[in-house]
Amino acid sequence: MSLGGKIAAARRLLFGDSARTFGTLSVVLLALLAVVPAKDYFREWRTYQKGYLRLVSKRSDATSLARRFEPGVQQVWLPELGVVDRCATCHVALKESSLADVKTQPFRPHPSIPHNLSDFGCAFCHRGQGAATTVEEAHRSTKSWEEPILPARYLESSCGQCHLDRPAGTPLLNQGRDTLAQYGCVRCHTIKTLGGVTLAGTDDPPSLAHIAEKTSREWIAAWLKNPQAYAASATMPNFQLPDEDIRDISAFLMAQSTPYRAGTAAETAPAAAAADAAAQQEGASLYGESFCASCHATQNAAGTLVGGTLGPELTRVGSKVKTAWLADWLRNPKVYDPETKMPHYRLDSKQIGLLLGFLGGKTDSDFLGNRHFDAAPKAEIEHGQKLVIERGCAACHDINGVKKPDDFAPELTLVGSRPLAKILFAPGVPETLPDYIAAKIRQPRSFGNALKMPQYTLAPQQVDGLVTALLAQTEGAQTVPARLRVAARRPSDYHAAGKAGQLIEDMSCFSCHTINGRGGDMAPELTWEGTSVQRAWLVNFLKNPNTLRPALIRRMPKFNVTDAEASTLADYIMTVYQTPAFDRDALDGAHFTAADGERGKELFYGKYACQSCHIVDPNQDKGYIGPTLTQVGVRLNAAWIFHWLKNAQSLRPGTLEPVWNMSDDDARAIAAFLMAQKTAPRAEAARK
Amino acid sequence: MANSLEARLTSLRDTRVWRSIFRSGSGATNLRRALAVQQNVFLHLASVKVRKRSLAFRVTWFLGTLTLGAFLILVLTGIPLMLYYHPSVPQAYADMNDLRFVVSAGVFLRNLHRWSAHAMVLLVFAHMFKVFYRGAYRPPREFNWVIGVVLLLITLFLSYTGYLLPWDQLAFWAITVGSNLISAVPVFGARIRFLLLGGHTVNANALLRFYVLHCVILPLAAVTFVAIHFWRIRKDGGIYSGESKRHE
Repeated sequence: MSLGGKIAAARRLLFGDSARTFGTLSVVLLALLAVVPAKDYFREWRTYQKGYLRLVSKRSDATSLARRFEPGVQQVWLPELGVVDRCATCHVALKESSLADVKTQPFRPHPSIPHNLSDFGCAFCHRGQGAATTVEEAHRSTKSWEEPILPARYLESSCGQCHLDRPAGTPLLNQGRDTLAQYGCVRCHTIKTLGGVTLAGTDDPPSLAHIAEKTSREWIAAWLKNPQAYAASATMPNFQLPDEDIRDISAFLMAQSTPYRAGTAAETAPAAAAADAAAQQEGASLYGESFCASCHATQNAAGTLVGGTLGPELTRVGSKVKTAWLADWLRNPKVYDPETKMPHYRLDSKQIGLLLGFLGGKTDSDFLGNRHFDAAPKAEIEHGQKLVIERGCAACHDINGVKKPDDFAPELTLVGSRPLAKILFAPGVPETLPDYIAAKIRQPRSFGNALKMPQYTLAPQQVDGLVTALLAQTEGAQTVPARLRVAARRPSDYHAAGKAGQLIEDMSCFSCHTINGRGGDMAPELTWEGTSVQRAWLVNFLKNPNTLRPALIRRMPKFNVTDAEASTLADYIMTVYQTPAFDRDALDGAHFTAADGERGKELFYGKYACQSCHIVDPNQDKGYIGPTLTQVGVRLNAAWIFHWLKNAQSLRPGTLEPVWNMSDDDARAIAAFLMAQKTAPRAEAARK
Repeated sequence: MANSLEARLTSLRDTRVWRSIFRSGSGATNLRRALAVQQNVFLHLASVKVRKRSLAFRVTWFLGTLTLGAFLILVLTGIPLMLYYHPSVPQAYADMNDLRFVVSAGVFLRNLHRWSAHAMVLLVFAHMFKVFYRGAYRPPREFNWVIGVVLLLITLFLSYTGYLLPWDQLAFWAITVGSNLISAVPVFGARIRFLLLGGHTVNANALLRFYVLHCVILPLAAVTFVAIHFWRIRKDGGIYSGESKRHE
């Protein structure tokens, strides 16, 4: 039979009449439908599960690994969090810590974290599509779902969806949140964190209401041109203003300024000390003795900043402030700014003169350049005021006649969930949310010259921190169940009462010490100081602070308090700052016997090796971690020492002192030994 | 053998049960055949008599029947899809992911529904072109042409409402753009948009409205108009099988 004949015969067989055609088509359809269960079965994840079994079959612990392996779609379902994650379908070994050496995905075990993986699922932290079981859909941005998985470097942001408590494991997030507060971001942008708490600024933008008395218009202009040229550590951003705008803004700021000593005549300013080398030297040592550098930084010859960050950098302060103002400020800073963190040092005129001479010498002729302004016409001042309102200067600074703007910049509470479809990307920026936020922080004006956001000077690390902190501002963070939220320590507005309270504010004790939840962390907490120390020592220390921890650069400065002031403070501290845990007078040092002391000494040097951190005998001991104990018998209270040795963490959480679990006898013996240490080391050294 | 089968069927048709259900009894007379069609709720929409030549492929290309087939597939696949679907935010998209990644034959079900929907739109257009170019819309069939136009609109609106239901980025923005187009309607534009979306943005209300439109209102309307459409074919003299001068 010819080929044509065969085809004709087959055609007759299959499509000969309508019944045959129907039958043939039915069989074809059935065959086609068989594709459905086949496709349903051979899914992508099956390949990975097979690959995993191949991988583990070559390992020594193959049987136990294979036994723990569960085939099929693996799912975490957490209705409360709205989590349906199937990532473990391919990432089968997330909980197999024995596979730590495996580097190929999707078989790597999850790094150890403080949470149970099954409590949160995957996409809550990693984003992407947890419900998907294909590589493309789960990890990348698709037409249906635009949120890809989060790059690993910003992963800490996910912790911030529940945590406001600065966990130790999220340094980048903590740093980013600090930057948001310290660089004034939150003064223009409202950022509500979980639980609806609005993030507050921790920077201290100065009031400009009396600025004409403090500095010159030329300095204002140079500062506006480039704040970082004046102080490398300045947090004020560069508004990239044209020179005419700078001229007008500085004119307005000078015009709106009012005298800050309205009514009272300024005290006659002490003349700055003669500019000779000896006076400079003396001023420098007074600057050092007063521990100004604990808060203020200066650039050294190599250009690195040395000093604290609590107060403004003083490298070029001589080019900025007027001498009369500085004298007034040094006499009592609270007159110019009642809210300042700077303590009232109670300096005498000679000391003020020395400091004026020393600080006045810190000039930089290049910074001001050859700027000179004549009196400004009214039009310039009015234009300046318009610019100040437009630029939102009053969001940070107090300025006469300009209201603090509300919601000056877009709210960022939900910026971490901002839909990409609503974002206009600048050319060259990869179209992902982290890249958008980073680009916006790095170069805000690249998104348009008319934008108001100024240019910040930030290290790459700071930008990463900010992106991390902002990515934590998700919709999920707003709806996290209350039981998962870890709140921040609530800020306290504690104030001490009465005359002592006034002194504490006047000397800005809270700038360094924390009492009852309020204050800084530069110096020891004083909440229970009254239980801890002896009154006589305290009075003496307030009048003339000596060094407790020789290893530290930052020390308590001398505030030149009078006897009466020291006594008022000591009375208040001894009466009010008491721990409720035990009675200060329960252990009377007079009952200690010499034998107690001897046994204590043995325990101190032997069993507990306290000399590793503390010094009792300056000729012998080398411990510099903890405070020197040569005079501890004069300083501390016996009951405090006893309880401190028992459990220091309960008295001052976070202290380096270990928890010893000492027996009462041991603690009592060491307390007896320490209470006997009453000699000043110098006196002892002199005796030898 | 054929005769005995015929005889059995005849005796079956004469049983009391058969007669109580179908009313028409056996018998090869034209009356019996006409009754069988006329007295059946489904068949009575069609003509009692159909000319053999109007059943030829070249006359209609079966486009109307194929459209009906696509519609039936859509109903049949739509019902199981409804079993897996919650018209709520954000569960709707989660259900979509379930269908795609864990439900057995879920992808098949979805794709069948989707491709049938595309096919139906295509077939409706093709059907209308065929009717138009063959001149089958002319009297006495002009009213049925109008019904056909209504059915076209219902089909398109079914497609449009179905597009939002997956609640993904594509759907969201398509409906956002689509509903913004509506507000370009003179005078009532903004109000129609508000009515359709149940608000000013594409949100949970819009999803629910689109769901009800897609699964209840529009299918019911479609069935109603299809019934009228078929019934009018019969009333207007059956399928138009080409110009015949014999009529005049």
